[in-house]
Amino acid sequence: MKKKNKQVTSVAVKPTAADRGFNIVVDIFMVFILIVIVLPLWSTLTLSFRPVTFIGTYTEGMFLPPWEWSIAAYESLLGNNGFLIAFWNSIKILVEGVICALILTIPLAYGLSVKDLRGKKLITVFVLIPYIFNVGIIPVYLLIAKLGLTNHLQSVFLPVAISTYNCIIMRSFFEGIPNELRESASIDGCNELQILLKIILPLSKAIIMTIGLYYGVAFWNDYFRPMLYLTRDYLRPLPILLRNILLAAGMNEFVEARAFGNAPVEAIKAASVFLSAIPMVIAYPFIQKYFTKGTLLGSVKG
Amino acid sequence: MGEKGSLQNKTYWSTLRKDIARQKWIYILIAVPLIYYFVFKYVPLWYSQIAFRDFKSVRYGILTSDWVGMENFREFVTSHYFWSLIRNTLMYSIGKILVSLPLSVILAIAIYECRHNKLRKVVQTLAYLPHFLSWVIMYGILLSLFAPGDGIINDLIKFFGGQPIDFLTNAKAFPWLVIFSDAWKEMGWSAIIFIAALMGIDVSLFEAAMVEGANSWQRVKYITFPAIKPVIVTVLLLKIGTIFEAGFNQIFMLYSPAVYSVADIIDTWVYRQGLLEGRFGLATAAGLFKGIIGMLLLFASNYFSKKFSDSSLF
Repeated sequence: MKKKNKQVTSVAVKPTAADRGFNIVVDIFMVFILIVIVLPLWSTLTLSFRPVTFIGTYTEGMFLPPWEWSIAAYESLLGNNGFLIAFWNSIKILVEGVICALILTIPLAYGLSVKDLRGKKLITVFVLIPYIFNVGIIPVYLLIAKLGLTNHLQSVFLPVAISTYNCIIMRSFFEGIPNELRESASIDGCNELQILLKIILPLSKAIIMTIGLYYGVAFWNDYFRPMLYLTRDYLRPLPILLRNILLAAGMNEFVEARAFGNAPVEAIKAASVFLSAIPMVIAYPFIQKYFTKGTLLGSVKG
Repeated sequence: MGEKGSLQNKTYWSTLRKDIARQKWIYILIAVPLIYYFVFKYVPLWYSQIAFRDFKSVRYGILTSDWVGMENFREFVTSHYFWSLIRNTLMYSIGKILVSLPLSVILAIAIYECRHNKLRKVVQTLAYLPHFLSWVIMYGILLSLFAPGDGIINDLIKFFGGQPIDFLTNAKAFPWLVIFSDAWKEMGWSAIIFIAALMGIDVSLFEAAMVEGANSWQRVKYITFPAIKPVIVTVLLLKIGTIFEAGFNQIFMLYSPAVYSVADIIDTWVYRQGLLEGRFGLATAAGLFKGIIGMLLLFASNYFSKKFSDSSLF
């Protein structure tokens, strides 16, 4: 993108009024989008710092100067055992889930990318049928119950530990790696396992980070499967706790939010929203450079 | 069988054996993922036969209940809520396409055309971010935005002289909330694929256009937009293939009994019937019904996508 801008301006043609008008429209649109994206986040952030003493609307709260902010909501959340346990459960699901998902997805994607694999068509069809024909939630629910996975953290990620879509993206990436590399390694006496570990994986950091991120986001954000399969309090991950806090809006259901000390209920809700989003927000800039690369690859070749 | 045939047969089997021996590590590598598919994807497929059974509870065994034929399907299709479920499902998925697709195309073009590097980078980074937030978090954000008494949106409505609306429980406002909150969350992410297509444009086209005296508007009309048109067609077709996916996670998080009439989609209904009311057979039948239509749509959209734009999902 940068390249294009430079080159276009290097052509010695004076911008006309229409060009200037165009640029102004583009800039106005970009600023508008910026405001639309930032405003909801800012309103939630300021809400989470709202002191008990504050009286006023949410809009007024957005302009509250930072020195009048209160961190009571964050203090009470981080000092609460239930919150910490939920956070820890979420971390466990995230780490175990991503490792398990990658260990299952990488070999399958690699196998499907090998050009002359015998029976490849059959295997591809075997993998695609459940992807094309979705049976819905009930049969999977019965399977989890039957396997005795209910009330195990693994039930959150095992049913979705291979996403066929992610596998196809990864396969497309592997297919793009020149075949000569494989051939020369195999002439040097490497078997296919060694080729995968020593040649393919070091070249595939971008796609592994990207797919790992996709899995990580899906597992961290999932509230539905934990709601179905984890019924014990001490197994609750963050999204379930957050959901309970947020839904405790009715008159008699403040029990959950009250347990968190004396910050305003709205501030507690907003603060728990931000704390649940934090790992994603922290990891985001680091992985962003990988995912734009990886996503483009997947989407162009897919 | 003649001499020649058996010879060919022999070479076939021996090359097959050789190939398998040569690639034994690949088969070992994919064995575990394939077993995974068998257990977690094919066993549920097998279990889905309870759609044809009078299934009561897991305790009595999954596959031992009486056959009832198409009874569950008949009940689902002839019930009074059937058409309202279909209508809601299609309303949300089509509404989302109509709002999000143009928005993400315009955003992609704006990001591509913006001359202020800083502004462009900030917008690009922030626009992707909401995609990574869960619908639980989104619900928290929407609560503070749309709070009936003193949220920002209602402050705006009051400022312009309107009556405050409780979007989450108002049946008229709720569909808009669903469609536009989805657009807010996903527009940046969906723009990526268009930005990728734009980056592939040959810059000499722009130079030629400038020399010919085309202004920026004309460049967008004759170069930029035509460059992403095939991508738009592909995305549209693939979206039509998943038109029965109206966004379970979103609607399940946002809806409440007050808006069931406009919010209930097939998936949320399947959840409530199956897992709350215990009507497993009926719910599975509804799920299968949706799965079959979804499969047909996917094949159709894949076929047309191959035909029109030379790219496909599989």
